Amino acid sequence: MNSLSRWTRRSRPLFSVYLPVMPFVFFALFPLYFMFITSFKKNAELYDVTAVPFLIGRGVTFGHYELLSRETLFWSWFLNSLMVSLAATVISVVLGVLAAYPLARLRFPGGDSFGVAIFITYLVPPSLLFLPLSTVVARLGLSDSLWALVVTYPTFLVPFCTWLLMGYFRTVPKEIEECAMLDGCNRLQTLIRILLPVAVPGVICAALFAFTLSWNEFLYALVFVSPAELKTLTVGVFSELIRGDVYYWGGLMAGACVGSFPIVIAYVFFLDYYVSGLTAGAVK
Amino acid sequence: MAKPSTETTFDSHRVSRRHFLGAAAGGAAGLTGILAAGRAPATAQAKELTFLTVASFVPATDTELKRQLDEWGAKNKVKVRLDIIAHLQLVTKKAAEVQSRSGHDLTALGPGLGDADLYFDHLADLNDVATDVAPKNGGWLNENDYLIRGKWKLLPWWMPPFPMAVRTDLLEQLGEKNPDTWEDWLRIGKKGKAIGHPLGIALGHSADANVTLLSILWSYGGSYVAKDGSTITINSKQTRQAMDFVKRLYTEAMDPEVLAWDDASNNRCLNAGKCIGIHNPISAYESAKKDKVTVPGKTQQIAEVIDHVNTPKGPVDRKATTGYWCVGVWNFSKNVELAKDFLRYHFQPENQARWVEAGHGFNMPFLANLTKHPVYKSDKQYRFIPEVAKVTVPPSWPGPTTAASQQVLDLYIIPDMFAQYATGKMNVDQAIAWGEKEMQEIYAGRRRKT
Repeated sequence: MNSLSRWTRRSRPLFSVYLPVMPFVFFALFPLYFMFITSFKKNAELYDVTAVPFLIGRGVTFGHYELLSRETLFWSWFLNSLMVSLAATVISVVLGVLAAYPLARLRFPGGDSFGVAIFITYLVPPSLLFLPLSTVVARLGLSDSLWALVVTYPTFLVPFCTWLLMGYFRTVPKEIEECAMLDGCNRLQTLIRILLPVAVPGVICAALFAFTLSWNEFLYALVFVSPAELKTLTVGVFSELIRGDVYYWGGLMAGACVGSFPIVIAYVFFLDYYVSGLTAGAVK
Repeated sequence: MAKPSTETTFDSHRVSRRHFLGAAAGGAAGLTGILAAGRAPATAQAKELTFLTVASFVPATDTELKRQLDEWGAKNKVKVRLDIIAHLQLVTKKAAEVQSRSGHDLTALGPGLGDADLYFDHLADLNDVATDVAPKNGGWLNENDYLIRGKWKLLPWWMPPFPMAVRTDLLEQLGEKNPDTWEDWLRIGKKGKAIGHPLGIALGHSADANVTLLSILWSYGGSYVAKDGSTITINSKQTRQAMDFVKRLYTEAMDPEVLAWDDASNNRCLNAGKCIGIHNPISAYESAKKDKVTVPGKTQQIAEVIDHVNTPKGPVDRKATTGYWCVGVWNFSKNVELAKDFLRYHFQPENQARWVEAGHGFNMPFLANLTKHPVYKSDKQYRFIPEVAKVTVPPSWPGPTTAASQQVLDLYIIPDMFAQYATGKMNVDQAIAWGEKEMQEIYAGRRRKT
């Protein structure tokens, strides 16, 4: 009886947690798995309709990765994506913090409407904005430089970061800031010394989202930057490996695999912050 | 509570804020000035000829184009830059460049001549260049087709003619010989489908579907717009015959997957050893050869059992179309004359010849002498390409190319009309009435805009 109840106790998580979660894990990871194995398949196998698509049946090849490294500017594109994403993330999070704080804490006429307006700005799709923005970018003389992206990415990242951080800042008790002010801190000091250390999960969450959005961005990178050596990873891989009606599937999948590493690494390192940042920001 | 050093920093925050506000105001004023002036700062205005083109499926084509551009740049002491994007991205890029009235000097246009009408007010006249380059190359193939509103707003650059690619081993197995008519292809497709090797004609939203279905429509004597460029002629007995034929082709000789095909799908179907034949440029064959793809279950390379034959003939005619890739110069470019000079250089017979050779003939120019290039005799697979080129017409044939005709292609009205009948979603009259209404609205809408 004891051993049965022990077994029941031990196996309960299997049935209540692990098995129910399996379909979701499978659903989430299958594209990554498919991408990964396709990047190691030989072209002949990729064409073979009789081959099992979920396994590598005719041996592994590193040819697609070699193609990326030797015949394209893949690593330049990778570096460009990294630089642009980091710069846009830093700028957007800083501006987002500075915008979110007064909207979350201060009472001023139109404050609430301003908060809603920021959210609505985020909802305007880039496919509508790229045409007017292309005029602005050209007039600023930023076309065909990475600065064009560093300047334009915050147009959709700042509203998002602001909205997310507003929610998070509201969860932090006002009293601790008031104590700091009683001790002589001004608003800026309170923000930097009191609020931000407490709001680190929210800031990291905003940064992670901003980095991911920048890393995956395609349209602005396509429109504002043309020279091959300045392309970002998303545009570079697409431009070089889709040639007319010939798709280099192995190379495309290899590019997608390598391109997902920075995001995976970032989320693995900051997962706890990310989860607490999201959930704390969601409920006050 | 606070450390002295930090306090010092924050003690001075009022001054910093003023500085910040001052700097921000200065920056904003600067940006406003730049925006109001409508031009980039002087540092961003170095003289450079830039060329935007689409990635060729034969990378050597782009390499040769870059070599010519570099060579021309060195001779003329002009900095040059060739930017290459996937053809699917070109529409977005063109729209952004026209909107901002900045970007590349030279640009690829297409597929189709419709860009000349759509961007008529933004393209420089190329009458002088077109007149210069034609005599040296034996003249343009069909000069009148390329004149939009009576002007050379672009130069037709290259086309990938559409022969039929066929599996010779399967033909032998079925006791058939190289087919020549659409009815031959239906018969072979039926036999092929019975042994697991259907015919592969796209019926989805893809450029290939537009090309092949228009070829069939014309081959049965139909068309969708008259020579006057405004009368919609799709509602005809000939269209009904063509649609009946495609319905039979779909139900008897093909698999339903063709409804979801993109431009790469038929290549994949042939090279995977499934399809007995496809209507496509030679790209499938070339990539099968490059990737050493084998016949399923055998060691023989599939490229060895592929042959290319003429685009099929119908009861009335043998006609085909293709992607008309063109090149133009934006009239907002600061280097219009330099761009024209490069075009003259690129269209010199020897440069065209080298460029065609690099592209294995996939990139056939619209110039008479180039259709006789030795590359088309270098491989028996290429032998029909000049023949197909002779019967290739713009997609709007017999009507002129306009923004409306381009829109009919871009919205895939023809494939949708054929597919709705082929799949039984509509009867033939309903499908034609739907297509006719769509086309009439497009043409009327464009008339209102002009």
